[in-house]
Amino acid sequence: MNVLEVKNLTKKYGTETLALSDLNFSVKEGEFVSVIGQSGAGKSTLLRCINRMIDATEGEVIFAGVNMCKLDKKALRKQRRKIGMIFQHYNLVNQLTVIENVLHGRLGYKSTLAGVVGSYTNEEKRQAFEIIDMLGLTEQVYKRCDQLSGGQKQRVGIARALIQNPKLLLCDEPIASLDPNASKVIMDHLRNISTKLGITCLVNLHQVDVALKYADRIIGINKGKIVYDGPPDLTAEQIHMIYGSQAGELIIDIGGRNES
Amino acid sequence: MNFSETLKSLWVQSPGKRQGIAAKKYIIKRANKASIVMNITLISLAILTIYGFFTFEYKDVKILEVIAATAANFKTMLLEPRFNHFDLSKGLYQVGVTLGLAFLTTLIGGFIALFLGLLAAQNLSSLIVSNIIKGFVAFVRAVPTVLWVLIFAVAAGLGSVAAVIGMTFHTVGYLIKAYSESFEEVDAGVIEALKGSGANWWQIVFQAVIPSSATYLLSWTFMRFEINYMNAVAMGAAAGAGGIGYELFMDSSFYFDLREIGLITYFILAIAVMLEFISIKLKVKLRED
Ligand SMILES: Nc1ncnc2c1ncn2[C@@H]1O[C@H](COP(=O)(O)OP(=O)(O)O)[C@@H](O)[C@H]1O
Ligand SMILES: [Mg+2]
Repeated sequence: MNVLEVKNLTKKYGTETLALSDLNFSVKEGEFVSVIGQSGAGKSTLLRCINRMIDATEGEVIFAGVNMCKLDKKALRKQRRKIGMIFQHYNLVNQLTVIENVLHGRLGYKSTLAGVVGSYTNEEKRQAFEIIDMLGLTEQVYKRCDQLSGGQKQRVGIARALIQNPKLLLCDEPIASLDPNASKVIMDHLRNISTKLGITCLVNLHQVDVALKYADRIIGINKGKIVYDGPPDLTAEQIHMIYGSQAGELIIDIGGRNES
Repeated sequence: MNFSETLKSLWVQSPGKRQGIAAKKYIIKRANKASIVMNITLISLAILTIYGFFTFEYKDVKILEVIAATAANFKTMLLEPRFNHFDLSKGLYQVGVTLGLAFLTTLIGGFIALFLGLLAAQNLSSLIVSNIIKGFVAFVRAVPTVLWVLIFAVAAGLGSVAAVIGMTFHTVGYLIKAYSESFEEVDAGVIEALKGSGANWWQIVFQAVIPSSATYLLSWTFMRFEINYMNAVAMGAAAGAGGIGYELFMDSSFYFDLREIGLITYFILAIAVMLEFISIKLKVKLRED
């Protein structure tokens, strides 16, 4: 079954920049898809058009059978609860503790007042602790987030997304600010989330080797167009196509060192 | 030719050519409109100042005598302070009234400014609403506190009511600017993260924006409290709002009691130093957190 269908998706910034041009693809439940492409290719824009943090100029995004583009504000908020998002810079509230940040993932399910005062049900707290435990953060539960390492922060980010009980995770360069060891931990977690929990993952990466190693499927974007969509066994030529002709060798080289 | 080749060729060129390069005058800073206007202003101010000294009407005032008399007054004021019209307990009570006035106006002003500050922050509001509030607030701040008090005194009569309303008004203006700028500093990614998970505006404000900017909000509020303390002293004198400022006004305008003025000055100063001390402690603590 398709969790996500993207049809004729086009995004223009102003009148000049064509960030996405006529994208078409669909993603199956539990699939781990990696979106690769040069910086500026349109990867972040694509992810944000899916949960409508950015409004597409044209085209449709159908998530869990619902056309995202036709929803009013309230229905959109309800639909967004089913989509978790993970960021390069983690985007946690640094002044709050790990558990407080994780529980933020439940805000969409709560009344305004309960959310404002931060009152969560016992069941929600239980789930939060369970997820935190699963991600190996038990010792950090009551630590403020500005005291964590990058890898730990990203795991808090994942926990916050997981507690939403999402069907889809959108990950925008989740390991771009991490060292190789922490990167591996995060990618392993994401892979597990997709395989064991059956949650679909759409992961923007610019490390080709990581993408090839972890993904079920690669979508290559160049200048806002899909130039590759298929299994993770790309030929050198196909990589050239995604990254532009002269840069191919270089990128594979850099990718091998697991550069951020 | 790539960059490193260009660099190399620069150094292997004939000395004559290199000198040619060195001889050309390179300009790093260009004179722009702002700096020209600035210079013209400074020069005209300097000319006016010098002109002023030549054209003052000095009449019969003998500068040295005047300075000596003033010094004598200051000596009486600062070296011989003592109570005359009231005693220590009344003095403390009056200082309390002044502090209360400062506290009340800061509290009410801070509360109102918190909500309007959210609407004035561009990342939490629409551009139109934000600009309307910011424009209005700039106007409120441009008019001094004393003037606001006197304006409200037209309706409320001179006294504590006009002082509270007027001081609160200016406080709101000041804190809206401070708060909204603190809110605008909040990482856009954090707001995006909560919005993307389905949280609504109020939830984002209270769960992300306020916790992220709490230390700034607190230190701005305390800073305004210090300003309001000084304002409250002045309002006691200028608008009959009571408190230590009123006693100061009576002593200086009616009793001409220099010694008591000296005492009151020390009182006011002691409290101001105390507030400054608390403020420094508070900032250190906030920074540690
Ligand atoms: N808010 C914006 N306003 C205008 N142009 C933008 C904006 N965001 C992105 N772009 C442009 O859209 C293109 C795609 O950007 P982005 O989606 O961030 O690429 P990627 O994530 O692959 O690096 C780039 O050319 C970028 O300059
Ligand atoms: Mg990006």
